[in-house]
Amino acid sequence: MSMVRPAEAKGRPFRISLGLDHAAFAMIAVATAIMVSYPAVLVLLRSISTEDIGSPLTLDWIRALVDSRRSREALVNTAIYTAGSSALAMTLGVGLSFLSTRTDMPGARLLGLLAILPILVPPFIMVVGWVALADPNAGLINIAASMLFGGRTVLVDINTMSGLIWMTGLFLSPYVYLLVAAGFRNCDPAMEEAARVAGASRIGLLRTVILPLQRPALLAALLLVVVMSAGDFVIPSTVGLKARIYMLPSLIWQNSSTFPPQPGLAAAQSMLLVVIGLVCIFFQRRALQRGGRYTLLGGKGAGLTTFPLGRLRYPLAGLAFVFALCSSLLPILSVSAMAFMRFWAPYAMNLENLTLRNFRYVLFEYPQVWPSAQNSLFLAVLGATLCVLLAIVLGWYIVRMRGRFAGLVEYAMVVPLGVPGIALGVGILSLWILVPGGIYGTLWILLLAYITAHIPVALQFVGSALHRVHTDLEDASRISGRTLVGTLRRINLPLMRPALIGSWLLIYVVILREVSLVILLYNPSTIVLPVGLMDIWGSGFYPELAVYSLLLLVLGLVPVLLFGRFARFTAD
Amino acid sequence: MADPQQRRSAGDAKAGETSSVSVTGLSKSYGGAGSLRALDDFTLEFGAGQCTVLLGPSGCGKTTVLRSIAGLITPDSGRIAIGGTAVFDAAFGTCDPPEKRRLGMVFQSYALWPHLSVADNVGYPLAASGMPKAEIRPLVESMLEWVSLGGMGGRYVHELSGGQQQRVSLARAVVGNPRAILFDEPLSNLDARLRERMRLELLGLRQRRPFTSIYVTHDQLEAMTLGDRVVVMRAGKIEQVGSPEDVYKRPRTRFAADFMGIPNLIEGRLRATGPDGFVVDTVLGPLRARGWRTGRTVGESCTVALRPTLLACSPDIGAGAPLGRVIRSVFQGTSTIHMIDVAGTTITIESFSEERHGDGMTVRVTPAEGAVFALLDD
Repeated sequence: MSMVRPAEAKGRPFRISLGLDHAAFAMIAVATAIMVSYPAVLVLLRSISTEDIGSPLTLDWIRALVDSRRSREALVNTAIYTAGSSALAMTLGVGLSFLSTRTDMPGARLLGLLAILPILVPPFIMVVGWVALADPNAGLINIAASMLFGGRTVLVDINTMSGLIWMTGLFLSPYVYLLVAAGFRNCDPAMEEAARVAGASRIGLLRTVILPLQRPALLAALLLVVVMSAGDFVIPSTVGLKARIYMLPSLIWQNSSTFPPQPGLAAAQSMLLVVIGLVCIFFQRRALQRGGRYTLLGGKGAGLTTFPLGRLRYPLAGLAFVFALCSSLLPILSVSAMAFMRFWAPYAMNLENLTLRNFRYVLFEYPQVWPSAQNSLFLAVLGATLCVLLAIVLGWYIVRMRGRFAGLVEYAMVVPLGVPGIALGVGILSLWILVPGGIYGTLWILLLAYITAHIPVALQFVGSALHRVHTDLEDASRISGRTLVGTLRRINLPLMRPALIGSWLLIYVVILREVSLVILLYNPSTIVLPVGLMDIWGSGFYPELAVYSLLLLVLGLVPVLLFGRFARFTAD
Repeated sequence: MADPQQRRSAGDAKAGETSSVSVTGLSKSYGGAGSLRALDDFTLEFGAGQCTVLLGPSGCGKTTVLRSIAGLITPDSGRIAIGGTAVFDAAFGTCDPPEKRRLGMVFQSYALWPHLSVADNVGYPLAASGMPKAEIRPLVESMLEWVSLGGMGGRYVHELSGGQQQRVSLARAVVGNPRAILFDEPLSNLDARLRERMRLELLGLRQRRPFTSIYVTHDQLEAMTLGDRVVVMRAGKIEQVGSPEDVYKRPRTRFAADFMGIPNLIEGRLRATGPDGFVVDTVLGPLRARGWRTGRTVGESCTVALRPTLLACSPDIGAGAPLGRVIRSVFQGTSTIHMIDVAGTTITIESFSEERHGDGMTVRVTPAEGAVFALLDD
């Protein structure tokens, strides 16, 4: 019950003081806003501090960043890598989404499914799978080429910049697909009919109506993949380092973890990523907001113009399926094949070399696997649950209460979207390393990092689900005698359940495979599965690596397969 | 089987009487520094068992009154009492949340919960009060029969038509024996024919079981047929209160007359004042009129509202009456509408004969025998 104070001055309008529940919601919202934004601030502060935060300020690290040849090289590499993989991801994502939603392509529904499947595939599968396929020595494609053309033919080499771009582009394409396909599907048929009646040809319609309407979504998708590829960690730190192609995220890791550690330089490099990321994400948000003008309702897909592909129908379908398979099923299959091999070398590709030993070793003998799996599962389940719960509180505060700090909280939520995991890790580390007896070195700091990074995603899901619940439904429940909390439980939660389950599953899967966030925060007792994978990568035992990454894939897929049909995976 | 009319939801002490609602000095502003005054010192008594209709255009504050009574918005100042006890009192800091006010509400959007069956929707207020399931079931069934949806309890909301959904919504509002029922433009999502039928049905249901209703609408036909009392609102204030007949026949202001659907608001000049009204000079000649405001002076300009049924037009009768040119005559079923141009002023006349006049024809326009028109304030 909210209390009001009697009016003091007569005639002056007074405000009903905020209720208790309102205050609680506001406090949680503001605390979360601080939680997600301080790492970025601390990265900046750390990059101009001689030692830990609080020590005298200096510009030495910035100077070192500018002077270091390796940093400059990494910046150039990161730029090439980002440009290349964003271009590939955009081409694939937009192409596949258009083909699967607006053309008469055969198997369009299946293609749509295949196109978003890579979201569930950990990047490690992509890495190990494409190493198995395109390693210059032992890659299946090159072995096949050698057998076909004789001699030693290297058709494709994954240990190159183009190899890195190829993997990352494939890996990021589903994010583009998701952002763009919804737009293609939700077009208002009336707008297209109007254009056709006004005399536009099909191609004219595409050029003058359909694509311009998608412009905000396209821009938003582009900026998203730019941020994601610039901050990508796994591919640069595995294949990238092997190929001696240094990029900012892998350099930050090296500067923090190899002897002698240079945390100041690492912070300066992180700062560069933070700035790039925040600028991109700022423009991405703006594009999406502008997109609001284009929000089209009532589009159920019926009556939309279908573009006939004509003679290109089957060739295009073939091509689309090849790309879709390259990003998910093909790597999974080659990782699976690799997992059964006694050792991995070109001459070992025969049946006598098949074995289950790798499974026995990794699953039962390798000492790290179960403790790290336990940690990972614990963190993924708890992290996803807390993210969703927090997002419900934040969503209610922002959407329904429209609290005083709602705008601030919404702004803060942008930070983790723009700051790459490794930089977020640097920021979190530089605070908690200073707190004696704090959470540094425990599982809790990992949990904090996971929640910090993924709360915005959960909030997007919850926010859009909340917008779908008509406030009358809540008001009717309140008038019927249910309290706010009772209404949330009886009305909102059941109505929002698909979105809540969807966001839970997504965050669970992502936490399970997340490396960059925690690579600077873990210690041997808090190791998690994907960090263990980085260890094995270092040792170079590929078949064991394959088993390990399959374990990661399976642990991620189990809840998705169990609960996926109750879920809604889009937040629009 | 328990009759819902005799029962109250569990936890309530007394058996179902509907209560009066009294609203005193209610104000509410929106926007920065109270820039938009939605409600301005609104005071009104809603009688127990009565249906009071708040009528006005969008933005007039009628929904703000309703939602303030429901507890869905908190007014800036004033007092709201239901059945004599304050549920909101700015001066004492009382503000009961909606769930404590024991009201029912019917929404324009129906606000039925899609994840619950019809029976669970209707039984929700009872379940919220902690009534055991076994007691809820017969109550819900009799409620459904009351709204002619007997046996439909197992269905889901999307399987019902709009009118059926609205009846479920009504049953849910009534089932907990609330102290008053609030209607927020409940019929405006229905098509015209269904709206007409639901309006009569609502009237029938209220005859069988009177409850305090506060009904918000912008439809003057709904207001007149459903209301025991009509409150015309304008810019956060009450423009006029009265019985539907009263407000229709004697609108106080130009705004009220316009909103009650009177098309002819004619400028005139006051010719004489008398004990039982005024005489006003208009294009139709001198007309008898009565107004609300006193202290008018002869010769001042004024407006009279001419109800279309109080006028007649004919090519042959009414010698000496002003001449008009027929713009058009439209047959609309029970009556015929004539638009007549009289000296540059368009006059709308409704006649119940089926005689139509040709366009451009000259007719004479006469007021009905003994007609007294409303003299309007601005």
